[in-house]
Amino acid sequence: MTPTPGMRSPMPDLLLLPFMQRAILAGLVLGLLLSYLGIFVTLRKMAFFSDGIAHAALAGAAIGLLTRFSPLLSALAFSMLLAALVYWLEKKSSLSSDAIIGIMFTSGMALGVVLISLRPGYQPELISYLFGNILAIRRVDLALIIVLAAVILAFIFSHKRKLTLLALDREMACMAGINPDLYELLLYIMLSCALVLGIRILGVILVSAILIIPVSTARLLSRSFKTLTWLTVLIAEFTVMAGLVLSYFLDLPTGAVIVLTGSTIFSLAFLAAALRKRSLRLAGGGHGKQGRSE
Amino acid sequence: MPPVLEVKDLTVRFNGNLALDRISFTIEKEAIIAVIGPNGSGKTTLLKAILGLVPCQGQVRLFSRPLRQVLPQVGYVPQRFAFDSSFPLTVEEFINLTCRTPEKLPLHGVLDEVGMTEFKGKLIGELSGGQLQRVLLAHALLHRPRILFLDEATSGIDIEGQSDFYSTIQRLNREHGVTVMMVSHEISMVYKFTDRIICLNRDLVSHGETRIALTAEVLKKLYGDNADLKSHDHDAHAGHAEPHA
Repeated sequence: MTPTPGMRSPMPDLLLLPFMQRAILAGLVLGLLLSYLGIFVTLRKMAFFSDGIAHAALAGAAIGLLTRFSPLLSALAFSMLLAALVYWLEKKSSLSSDAIIGIMFTSGMALGVVLISLRPGYQPELISYLFGNILAIRRVDLALIIVLAAVILAFIFSHKRKLTLLALDREMACMAGINPDLYELLLYIMLSCALVLGIRILGVILVSAILIIPVSTARLLSRSFKTLTWLTVLIAEFTVMAGLVLSYFLDLPTGAVIVLTGSTIFSLAFLAAALRKRSLRLAGGGHGKQGRSE
Repeated sequence: MPPVLEVKDLTVRFNGNLALDRISFTIEKEAIIAVIGPNGSGKTTLLKAILGLVPCQGQVRLFSRPLRQVLPQVGYVPQRFAFDSSFPLTVEEFINLTCRTPEKLPLHGVLDEVGMTEFKGKLIGELSGGQLQRVLLAHALLHRPRILFLDEATSGIDIEGQSDFYSTIQRLNREHGVTVMMVSHEISMVYKFTDRIICLNRDLVSHGETRIALTAEVLKKLYGDNADLKSHDHDAHAGHAEPHA
């Protein structure tokens, strides 16, 4: 929005609103956390795991609503337990990972719907958990998001090398003295924790978007892991902020606008990468991947 | 001098099926050893069992110690590096992933050693098969290992690339005293570059000095009547042979 001369921009007013301040802070923290984890999620091809855990978290939130305990805390506990169970079943059963996650995902979501239906009357919380409501974040939620995000990010930053090598090749990680079982379990649990925190912004249905879209966009534009990491986080932060502001002014659901902002940026990057690749090919100066930034 | 590697009664089962049956052998310092055998004979399983990558029974000791205690002295080049080739990771970044303190390790030295210095800024996914194997070798050499395990490290590489790769291995062995144990299907390369051989078909068929242990009879036992055997040109001993495609 461009303010006309003599008119005040509505942006400063927007920033003075306490709920908007909490939403911006939560968005920035969760954008950083989820997009950074997204690098490992895409490298390990764990998008379905993420989606499954996020959906199944609805049962955890429903238990919190029914027992009048914090839905966020109960969803956190439920999802971390579920992540550990998926990990254990992957190791101990002959079922494929996809099948295990598929069973957990649908069962958890179904349990959540049944539990919520046990409460009489209209259930606005259900919509809030399905699609998120960043503007309704309370101080206590924000504090929890910041503390948990700080713990998870501290762990990932300090073990980035090990997590990346493990995501690239399990055997190489073993040969580098890394305990793959321990780090895989920790990644599952931290990811489930981050996803539940992200549900406050985007809801169980859309939260995977912030894990997948920024890193996928950055991959189109990067020619090193370092560039990929920075671009992923920058794109995620821009996506969340732009989506938040746009949804406010257009009076549209925030979570959905954030996801659509991200997918628009991805489409533009995809188009730019394809055009660059084509022009390089026509010029005969190289192949497609040279279109990425150094 | 104690052997570099001692394997005693090594047995591996997958879902109850026997993959390796009580394999025992020792490897002396600075040797180049090949492990050969038909598909499904347990060559890769043997390497992985030695390296603790698959569960096994029996005893494995490297430098007279359990593997965990000597892991930094062990290098490993896998058969396949099945990672997402579209992932933007440069050669330099990939090699640095295994370093706790990258600045203290001889990154340029190992890249130079395998002739890949000029590729350090290139993406892993953009390398040819031969170049990728060289990078994996550089990765394995980073901590200056005393023993190197290669699992069909030249599969999918053209003859010239294979020859270059084996020459590099031979040079590392001669100049740095690195003991090398390699799984290979390329019997002619094995014959040319290795000192000792382990012939495997779930159990130990034969082992010893390459030119003594690798007989036409052993090859027939491993590969059956379909192996096209012919006397080796530069072999003085009658009965020593190599299969040709």
